[in-house]
Amino acid sequence: MSSEIPSKPASTPALLELDRVSRRLGGRAVLRDVSFALRRGEVLGLLGVNGAGKSTTLAIIAGVLAPDGGHVRIDGRNAIDAGRRIGWVPENVPLWPELTVAETLDASGRLRGLARDARRATIERELTRLELGAVARRLCGQLSLGQKRRVGLAQALLHEPDLLVLDEPGNGLDPVQAAQLRELIGRLAPDRGIVLSSHDLAEVEAMCNRVVILHEGMVRHDASLADARGKLDAQFRAIARAPASAAA
Amino acid sequence: MSALTVARIDLKRLAVRPFAWTLAGIALAMMAWQFLLGVSAFLHAQPAGPGAAAGPGFTDTVVAPYLLNYIQLCLVIAPLVTMQALAGERGAGRLVLLSASGATAAQIVFGKFCARLAFLWLLLMLVATLPLVLAPATHPDWGQFGAALIASALCVAALTAIGIACSAFTPEPALAAAAALLIGEALSLIDAGVRLTGGDTGWLGYLALHTHLAPALRGLVRSEDIVYFLIVIVLALALAIRRVGGDRERG
Repeated sequence: MSSEIPSKPASTPALLELDRVSRRLGGRAVLRDVSFALRRGEVLGLLGVNGAGKSTTLAIIAGVLAPDGGHVRIDGRNAIDAGRRIGWVPENVPLWPELTVAETLDASGRLRGLARDARRATIERELTRLELGAVARRLCGQLSLGQKRRVGLAQALLHEPDLLVLDEPGNGLDPVQAAQLRELIGRLAPDRGIVLSSHDLAEVEAMCNRVVILHEGMVRHDASLADARGKLDAQFRAIARAPASAAA
Repeated sequence: MSALTVARIDLKRLAVRPFAWTLAGIALAMMAWQFLLGVSAFLHAQPAGPGAAAGPGFTDTVVAPYLLNYIQLCLVIAPLVTMQALAGERGAGRLVLLSASGATAAQIVFGKFCARLAFLWLLLMLVATLPLVLAPATHPDWGQFGAALIASALCVAALTAIGIACSAFTPEPALAAAAALLIGEALSLIDAGVRLTGGDTGWLGYLALHTHLAPALRGLVRSEDIVYFLIVIVLALALAIRRVGGDRERG
C-alpha cells in the first residue's frame, strides 16, 4: 500500500516543521527537542510504544497544546495561526452523542466558518467520500468505533486542510475497517500532508512513506520507509528496549 | 458566529437529554404547587369591607414571593444545568476539539453560557405564565411584575455565569455543581445574620443577592442592582474564559 504513496523529493518546501519542540506534563518531560519536517504528499508515521510522546506531539501540531520550548510551523506560520489549515482527529474521536452525524458535520462546518451553501456541499462530499451516507441521520452515540472514526475524519476534512493529523487512526478497527482506512489515506495523501501516530509497525508500513520513531519523548529514527523497509522491525525493537539516555 | 454555533450545539443536546426535561418538569411542578399555595393563602387573607383595596395586592403577596422562590430553586437548578458545560466537555475531550475547530475560549464559554441561560430563562418564562393566567381576575401591578421579572432574569444569569465558571475550574461535573451551589448559597445567605438582627449589613449587604433582588420585587429597578448582577456575570465569565484559554498551556 505504501508504495502507492511515493516519497517527495527533499527539495520540496516543508509543509510542517517541528524545531526542537519540548513539553513537560505533570512534572515529567514528555517531549525533548523533537524535530522533524513533513512535505506535502507525505504520510508520516509517528511510531512509538505507549507513553513515547506521540499524542502530545500531535496535540502540539494541532495547536491544542502549547510547547514549552521550540517551534511548530505550518507553511512557515505558527501552528496556532495556521489552525484553520489543520484537520485533527484525536485518538478517542470525541463526538456529541446526542447529535446525528449530519448535525455533527453541520456544527463542525459552522465552527470552521463555512457559509451555508459551501457547508452543504462539503458535508455531501464528505458523507460520500467516507461512505457515511447510510448513517447520516443516526445519532453519533449509536455508531460503531469505525463509523465514529470516519465521522471524525469527515469533521477534520470539511475545510480541506493542508495538514491532516490522525492520532492512532487504526486503533480498535476490525481488518475490513483497517483496510478501508488505508485505502482512504492513500486517496487523501497526494493533496496534503498527513501525520499519523501508531504503535503498530505493520500499520505504519502499510499507510506511510516516512517514519519517525519516538521513544521517551525523543526522535530516535527518522527516515523514508523505502530506506527502512525490512530493517524497521529490528530497529523499532532495539529502540523500544534501549533506555533513552543511551541515545541522548 | 462560533459562540452561536456552540450555543446551538448545547441547546440541541439539552433538548434531547432526559436530564433537562426531568429537571424542568420537577421545577415547574414545584413552582406550580407553590403558586397554588400562594393563591390559596392570598384568598384566605383577603380582607373584606371598606379599605380592602388599600392592602397589599396580588403582586405583593403572591407574585413577588413566587418569583423569589424560583430564584431560590435556581440556586440548585443552575449548578445542575451548568455542571457539565465545561467540566464534562473537558473530560470527554470535546473541549479541545472545539478549540481545534477554530472556536476561541471566549466563544466557547459565551456559547455555553448562552445555551444554559436560554434554558433557565425559558423556565422563568413558563414560571411567569402562571400569574399571567390569573391576570384578568387579579389585576396585577404590571410595573412591579416587570421589575421583579427583570431582576429575576438578571439573578438567574448571574447564577448561570457562576455555574459556568465553576465548571471551567473543576475537572469533575459533580465538584462543579457543589462549588456553584456553595457560592450561590453564600451569596444568598452572606448577610442573613445581620439582616435578622436588623443591623447595618454594610459591604456584606452589597455582596448579598437579596439586597439587589428585594427592591425589584417591590417594583423598584435600581441601576446599582443591575450593575451588581452585570459585575457578577462579567467577572464569572472572564474567569471561565481565562481558565479555558489556559488549557493549552496546562495540557
